[in-house]
Amino acid sequence: MARTETLSKAGVPGITFVRELGGIQEYRLEKNGLQILLIPDPASPVAGVMVTYRVGSRNEAIGHTGATHLLEHLMFKGSKHFNKKNKRTTFELLENKGARVNATTWFDRTNYYEVLPREHVAVALALEADRMQNAFITEADRASEMPIVRNEFEIGENNPSEALDKQLWAIAYQAHPYHHSVIGWRSDIEQVSIERLQQFYKDFYRPDNATVSVAGGFDTKEVLTHIKKSFGVHARPKAPLPPVYTTEPKQEGERRVVVRRAGHTNVVAIAHKIPEATHADMPALLLLSLVLSEGKTSRLFRAFADTSKATDVTAVCYQLRDPGLFTSFVTLAPQVSHDSVEKGLKEIFSDVAGRGVTAAELGRAKQSVRSHVASRRDGPFALLYNLNEEIAVSDWTRFLTFPEALAKVTPREVQAVAKKYLVEDQSTVGHFIGTAL
Amino acid sequence: MTNDLLTVEECAVCDGGRLFVAPTSARDLVALEGSVHGGPNMLPAEHDVLPALAAALLDAGTLKRSKAAIREALAARGITIGFAASGDRTYFSGQCFPEDLEALLAALCECLSGAAFPEGEVANVKALSLGSLAEEKSDTRAQAERALAAHLYDPTHVNYARPVQDEERSVRLATRTDLLEFKKGLGVGGLVIAIAGDVTSASARAAVEKTFGKLGKGTTSVPVKHSNTKLPTAGESVISIADKANVDVLLGVALPLTMYDERYHAMKVLVEMLGGGFTSHLMQTIRERDGLTYGVYARLAGLESGADGSFKIWASFSPGRYAESVAKLREEVARFFARGLTPTALTLSKERMAGLYLVSLSTTQNLASALHSVGVQGRELAYLTAYPDLIRAVSIADLKRAAAMIPLDKLSLVAAGTL
Repeated sequence: MARTETLSKAGVPGITFVRELGGIQEYRLEKNGLQILLIPDPASPVAGVMVTYRVGSRNEAIGHTGATHLLEHLMFKGSKHFNKKNKRTTFELLENKGARVNATTWFDRTNYYEVLPREHVAVALALEADRMQNAFITEADRASEMPIVRNEFEIGENNPSEALDKQLWAIAYQAHPYHHSVIGWRSDIEQVSIERLQQFYKDFYRPDNATVSVAGGFDTKEVLTHIKKSFGVHARPKAPLPPVYTTEPKQEGERRVVVRRAGHTNVVAIAHKIPEATHADMPALLLLSLVLSEGKTSRLFRAFADTSKATDVTAVCYQLRDPGLFTSFVTLAPQVSHDSVEKGLKEIFSDVAGRGVTAAELGRAKQSVRSHVASRRDGPFALLYNLNEEIAVSDWTRFLTFPEALAKVTPREVQAVAKKYLVEDQSTVGHFIGTAL
Repeated sequence: MTNDLLTVEECAVCDGGRLFVAPTSARDLVALEGSVHGGPNMLPAEHDVLPALAAALLDAGTLKRSKAAIREALAARGITIGFAASGDRTYFSGQCFPEDLEALLAALCECLSGAAFPEGEVANVKALSLGSLAEEKSDTRAQAERALAAHLYDPTHVNYARPVQDEERSVRLATRTDLLEFKKGLGVGGLVIAIAGDVTSASARAAVEKTFGKLGKGTTSVPVKHSNTKLPTAGESVISIADKANVDVLLGVALPLTMYDERYHAMKVLVEMLGGGFTSHLMQTIRERDGLTYGVYARLAGLESGADGSFKIWASFSPGRYAESVAKLREEVARFFARGLTPTALTLSKERMAGLYLVSLSTTQNLASALHSVGVQGRELAYLTAYPDLIRAVSIADLKRAAAMIPLDKLSLVAAGTL
């Protein structure tokens, strides 16, 4: 679409059209630098609103791990114009109209969203704009919300794979904040001060560190007008964003961790260090993860589930802003030893690195990508959520360019990244050992 | 209603089957949900694991092709398929690109009719099933669910849950012959298929007739469900599982209610008001006011195959605050039934449910699931669009009639965790 056409369509002074790619329009609110993405589907009666902040557990340190997530909870406790006192909370105004309202926190970002009947989009935008800078963030709310977040932590601890995953990251990372899980350590959840949370809010919840995305049924000009009116009240902050300057030191040998807890579940996991999401090797690494664990034709499924050795297998290629992990998890069937599965996993890695993957394997992985690409546009939430992940690690256009890069990957490139990254010196091995109940 | 709902068509297929097709604005994506008669309800208790084992084996080799040949051919085209079994049915699902719908349907039919259940594969699936059952023994939520179902229903009721050890015994005893015998009952009997996405009605119908039309008759009827004969009693039991940071709590009672009862929609609204979302009574009190839980939800369960089901509440609590939390939960449930059934609360819940229903149908997958449910429940297609009005029509009097079905003094509680 021609730039001038979109400009005239939008026609909202103070909001500049930046570009349109793949049906996604980007604008910028000039006053404060807020990025705006619109993906209209005019016939839809449903719309989604999401605000993504470029802040996550990556921005935390010892003593306030889990602060991003705890703050996310406090953001629902009210703001200047939307609060319990005036009976205009997120839930009263939106959930009671049928909106799916929630928020999620991850390593590199935090998001707040509403998927709702289209007539309520303006309210969602006004509410999000208000809590961007006017949230209360009080000690009373921290004190009442902390046990809720602690119980969320406890629920996660009941899951053996999640418990092992936390330990895996904690051992794989010594300096970088990916060391701790997004929910944080229990003692930090319990004791982080309200002053620390308020400072965190002040540091990161600002229009130039956020993207407002709207997808589904709405009128473009109306929505831009609402965004200008609601988010336009915020000034562009003068202070720079606090940088994350810690770089993880080079790993110089295999690391190991064991978690022993009562129960019947046994898990073996191996994590390998990989580069950041924007690295040129990432497309091949993602396809490698699909070759290893996507569906019943994958290498891990065939090696372990098809031979009665495992009840579950997964491989995850984390696409993060900073160098991340490539994790492989195998949940053991009864009577299967951890050592035999660890050995089997390493043999698979070695085989891929030594002999590569077949054209058929890569073809299947690419078909899976095509399917995923289609699913990403199935409804406003899927679209907003997937865009949000790209915003977190680089910029939203990766939503379009990354699938193009995936399509070009060759079997030789997959083998090359396996050889480069699935190496013992860069690995962390974890065993979850179920002991007698 | 969404525009996608306006284009849904229903066709009769395969001698009594129901096909729903919903062309949507989704591109390059077709989602399918379907089922046929054939589930654990049709078998004696000691054999009720067979349908789930069979479902896990349907794509593990057929009379025509090996497991590898089937799975690789599907994956090469980006087709995913899945099978499951519960209640009266064997369920199937799939996703594909628009050009592959016929291939997807053909693969499903090949598995349903031609699964060979090779001995080695049977042994493998049995081993994995035993592994999953072993893991379940230290899963707090799963243990609580199983214990509550055993407490609420008489042992011959379809919603009764046997002890894990009984299920393990049945898995060990299952044979290839048993599975082949069970598979004989899988055909077009009870066929319901819902297809949504980048598809046209004509092409979908033709593809279904061409593929499923070749299946045998299968099982034409489902067993009549007898009502629960176990009287509700207020029990409280604790399942001790070491090293657990969280306690899963279930509080519930069996109800003389099916999804076809005239009080069904009022009961849905009632349960939603009590524990359906952040604005529900329990979330606003136990979580928001008291900070005792991350999640507390109320729901109806066990109604899927037309049986009488149950009302239950799930909550997660910290072990250190367990007694206080349970006391508060019971107190707030009582308070809700005594004072919470107000016109204002009813209006808000109805509006929320109607809106949420619209939102839930905004994805292809959810639309296919909703259409499949309409078919399985034996309802008219119009139910899909009439549902919000049925919810809006619930009155305070309806709500109170539904509430009267729940004997508050006979709620049973099960907790699982380190206590």
